[in-house]
Amino acid sequence: MRFPPWPWLAGLLASLAVSAVQAAEEYSFDASSFEKKPFELGGFVQFKQEDFALNRDGAFYKLGYFGQSQRASLERSTATAELTGKLREGIGTFDFHTHADLQRDQLGHAQNNVLYEAAYSIRPDPGVTLEAGKRTLRWGKGYAWNPIGFVERPKDPNDPDLAREGYAMANADLIYNQDGPLRTIAFTPVLLPVQHKVNSDFGSSGHLNPAAKLYLLYRDTDIDFAWQGQGSRPGRYGMDLSRNLTSNFEIHGEWARIQKFSKPVTDTLGNVGSTVGNATSYLAGLRYLTETDTTYIAEYYRNGTGYSSQEAGNFYQLVDTAFAQWQQTGNGSLVQRALNLNQGSYGRPNPGQNYAYFRAQQKDGLGIVYFQPAVTAMLNLDDHSYQVMPELLYTGVKNLDLRMRYYTLQGKSFSDFGEKLNSRRLELQARYYF
Amino acid sequence: MTIRTLLLTGLLTFGVAVQAVALDGTKILEKVDRNLEPETYEAYRQLIDVQPDGSKKEYVLYTLKKGRDKVIALFLSPPSDKGRVTLRLGDNMWLYIPDVGKPVRITSLQSVTGSIFNNADILRIDYTAEYNVAATEEQADAYLLSLKAKTNEVAYDSLKMWVDKKALLPTTIEAYAASGMLLKTLHFKSVKDFGGGIKRPATLETDSPLYKGYKSVMLWSGLKKGTFSDSIFTLNYLPRIQELRK
Repeated sequence: MRFPPWPWLAGLLASLAVSAVQAAEEYSFDASSFEKKPFELGGFVQFKQEDFALNRDGAFYKLGYFGQSQRASLERSTATAELTGKLREGIGTFDFHTHADLQRDQLGHAQNNVLYEAAYSIRPDPGVTLEAGKRTLRWGKGYAWNPIGFVERPKDPNDPDLAREGYAMANADLIYNQDGPLRTIAFTPVLLPVQHKVNSDFGSSGHLNPAAKLYLLYRDTDIDFAWQGQGSRPGRYGMDLSRNLTSNFEIHGEWARIQKFSKPVTDTLGNVGSTVGNATSYLAGLRYLTETDTTYIAEYYRNGTGYSSQEAGNFYQLVDTAFAQWQQTGNGSLVQRALNLNQGSYGRPNPGQNYAYFRAQQKDGLGIVYFQPAVTAMLNLDDHSYQVMPELLYTGVKNLDLRMRYYTLQGKSFSDFGEKLNSRRLELQARYYF
Repeated sequence: MTIRTLLLTGLLTFGVAVQAVALDGTKILEKVDRNLEPETYEAYRQLIDVQPDGSKKEYVLYTLKKGRDKVIALFLSPPSDKGRVTLRLGDNMWLYIPDVGKPVRITSLQSVTGSIFNNADILRIDYTAEYNVAATEEQADAYLLSLKAKTNEVAYDSLKMWVDKKALLPTTIEAYAASGMLLKTLHFKSVKDFGGGIKRPATLETDSPLYKGYKSVMLWSGLKKGTFSDSIFTLNYLPRIQELRK
């Protein structure tokens, strides 16, 4: 046997051999550890720090801080845990999604435990699914708003991708596929009960509310027809569509009509009446990806149940009048009336009638892989008030998302974003998945 | 024989020869498609993104393909992406994220993982479904196929594919934009017998002049023929894809 002439060469060869083995091992993959298990558990824990610059002249600040010590800023820390799980047995699956959060700020602390979803489903055939339990059904193609989201809690346009609490319901999914221009037909019937302690925020109790969605994939276009029968809420129907005009350019739209919709409207003195009529909402949007991996999302939203600038202005005037009266006379009855209206449709995140939404996000921003800067703007087209939100997201660390957002709201007195609770907000968030 | 007849005969012979070469190229590509995967199959894949500093990000996908243009990929790992599903029906692609709760349309040039592999690589359908053979060249150990996209919807305008003559499997593919710019190079390695008559590369590495220093690797495991209902390849079924796995 001959030996290499220099010991260092032998060492080098040995290390190269080890490296070669390591490189080979590096790229071996055995999928057996990823086979389906009868029970699965996952989720995330999250810590969020928010600093609010409060808008002390805003109507919603006055209502939100009524009877409390007045302040110019607020720092809030929130710890959140969400747990998801699945239990499988035969053709049946039970799955759940829980949410728990603990908030602490200078005013105190609060705890919130919510069961987002818990449902049992069976699939006797791939084309047939029957399900009962608490479920979040999300209908519509819009990114920030969904006029045909008939059986879901409203989404937060500031964070449209957040998980939300569902409703208790029974539903089914029937899927049929074929060749030809109409490739897919899928029908989703829903029964949603409302009783004293079941889905009580959906509408008036004592109803078993029917709803349904019909999905078609026709000539490469997604089309949905949605309907919800009259019951706890007024009856409504609508449709949406989405298609790619080119591989990097998508358009979408939604249209919905609510029949005999009753809208509470106040004057500047707190006299509340109702207008009843059919309300039509619609949305048109697009998503465009550039060659440099910038994604643009733009949407126009017509909110048929919203308030005109005049109607919203009357409410803001009422708040001003109510607080002036309370400060001068100590009589808080008008403030209470404004608070009641704030609990209803005047206090929605987007109570106006015409909105524009714009978002631009850059993949691998500044040449850093997994770094995504973005900017989002929302504009009330009637009073020209707006909100702008720059955002930085980094997902380069395994199972960890780091995000920073800064909201700034601008608008004159008696305008949508000019009367919000805060004028600026800084948000830092770390989320760890397990 | 007149000059006219000679010319006509010559033209016809040349035409038939050109057609035969083009036909051979198409047949080679059809064979490559079937040698890479059965038309309908299920498989597990691991995607590894290697950054210039050596750090890695890994994903595991469960994949189903039916026919020439229906593909689904379900993310099993890491936990931050678990439950995400991508669906491709021809030129249409959607991404389902459990928290968002509804599918959104995505494009072939995007990457759901953020890696050099884009959605068209991850949800690849048959090459013959997307490309025509523009030219075929015979080399010492390989055929070099020049492929041209059938439509503007295809992720890459053209491909240069080196095919091993014996195995009729690709060894290297260069992907080009319409401008002629090289977008990425795919290297097929480690031919492995998956059983059931499937013998194909178990490793696919890619690098790109647009991502200098970065590398992405795709590893195959558990590749086997399957039979699946068309109902699975629909938007309504995406939240339930996990239940299909054995």
